Amino acid sequence: MVTREKAASPAEHKPGAPREPIFELEDVTVSYGDKPAVRDVTFDIAKREITALIGPSGCGKSTLIRCLNRMNDLIPAARVEGNVVYHGQDLYRPEVDPVEVRKRIGMVFQKPNPFPKSIYDNIAFGPRVLGMKGDMDEIVERALRHAAVWDEAKDRLKTNAFGMSGGQQQRLCIARCLAVEPDVILMDEPCSALDPISTGKIEDLMIDLKQEYSIVIVTHNMQQAARVSDRTAFFTVTPEARIGTLVEFDDTEIVFTNPKDPRTEAYVTGKVG
Amino acid sequence: MTTRTHFQEELEGLERAALGGLDMVASALDRALETVMNHDIELAGMVVADDDRIDGRYLEVHQGILSLLALQAPVAGDLRLVAALLHVIKHVERMGDQCVNMAKLVPLAGHEPPVDSRMLDLIQRMGIQARQQVIQCGQAFERRDVAMAEDLVRQDDEIDRLNREVFHHALELGDELDRREWAMHMMLVGRNIERIGDNAVDIGEQTAFVVTGLFREFEDASHPQLAPPTA
Repeated sequence: MVTREKAASPAEHKPGAPREPIFELEDVTVSYGDKPAVRDVTFDIAKREITALIGPSGCGKSTLIRCLNRMNDLIPAARVEGNVVYHGQDLYRPEVDPVEVRKRIGMVFQKPNPFPKSIYDNIAFGPRVLGMKGDMDEIVERALRHAAVWDEAKDRLKTNAFGMSGGQQQRLCIARCLAVEPDVILMDEPCSALDPISTGKIEDLMIDLKQEYSIVIVTHNMQQAARVSDRTAFFTVTPEARIGTLVEFDDTEIVFTNPKDPRTEAYVTGKVG
Repeated sequence: MTTRTHFQEELEGLERAALGGLDMVASALDRALETVMNHDIELAGMVVADDDRIDGRYLEVHQGILSLLALQAPVAGDLRLVAALLHVIKHVERMGDQCVNMAKLVPLAGHEPPVDSRMLDLIQRMGIQARQQVIQCGQAFERRDVAMAEDLVRQDDEIDRLNREVFHHALELGDELDRREWAMHMMLVGRNIERIGDNAVDIGEQTAFVVTGLFREFEDASHPQLAPPTA
């Protein structure tokens, strides 16, 4: 008898297979002032996988990804309730240093944001601040190679990073993130300002990087989520209360072929805006 | 709020075109049966020629699905529907071919073959049963009715039973060469009708796939012991 299970892809993607979590979110609610932006989110993010957060505008996916490296600390009115557990430790314990957190958990933003400095100094900045040991030239080269931008940058390391194309700048930002040897890379719409070729390069890079890093990506591009991610979390927002909630979290293949929740089905097939 | 209305209309149009192919099969089957019953060689030629319409429908739906996949990137339920429609239209095309095969057998049986009324009765009953299944598989798909689709297996058992009866009756038709030859041809006609029934069951399986997201054979000829119980 032919069954879908038998025809499924390799064991690493087997639905329901146990995965080692890097983040465990438990009843996480993030509020700005009194108003929750996203409420009661519970799911695990697995190590060395790409986890995509999708959903309509205002569903709280960007708010949520910012919790994972305490970026929301920078917004005075933001408040995080529930547990965000990273490697078994509560990320929001008072003794945890947010700077150390952001070193371990890097972030790449929608618009490439290099420093107004040379390509070399963009990469060397983090390691210098953190007092990292080792040959700085080596650190810079390794990071640029890792982010697949070395060939384009090696002959102009001392020139201003703003001279690079948008796609190169974004890979530079990924390299800058990798230079401080993080554990997790958070990406908030990393390709939305890029052309399809640059997007393709970043997507290839993400798949290469997941050998060593855990990646969480927020994207509006559902085909991108389908192409790169191992698991997908779909969030939605209620029109009345305007609070984001997690609707469904599953293997990406399931979310895009046979989602369990009719709201996920409606969103991924474009039947609701 | 509903979006992508243009895409949804295109998808619905493809489904209508594919399921409309089943109506074409039903009328081809009617004429193929009439051809056999009346030994109508002229009508046989028309059945063969008209199959071009079913083949044309196949090409039309196939091309439409390719365009939809390339341009609209359907996912989830839409993707399952598109994948199922590819199967449905292939089965439609095959059922059309089986009607052609039936019609082509008629002139081969000679000018005034020694017909046997019991044999013709069996063939007719098989044909009526197959036609019922062709219609039912289309309705089950259109309504996304899994129970109705699964019922096709029960219906198909009747065709299989009649087909065995055709075989046994052919053995009993005597030693005369002309009669034996005609009986052989009728066995082949029966075989083609039996295959039409199988294709209807396969379309039923696609209905279950669209609804549940899991593909399973209703009846597994190679592993009969694994087949789910049927009513």
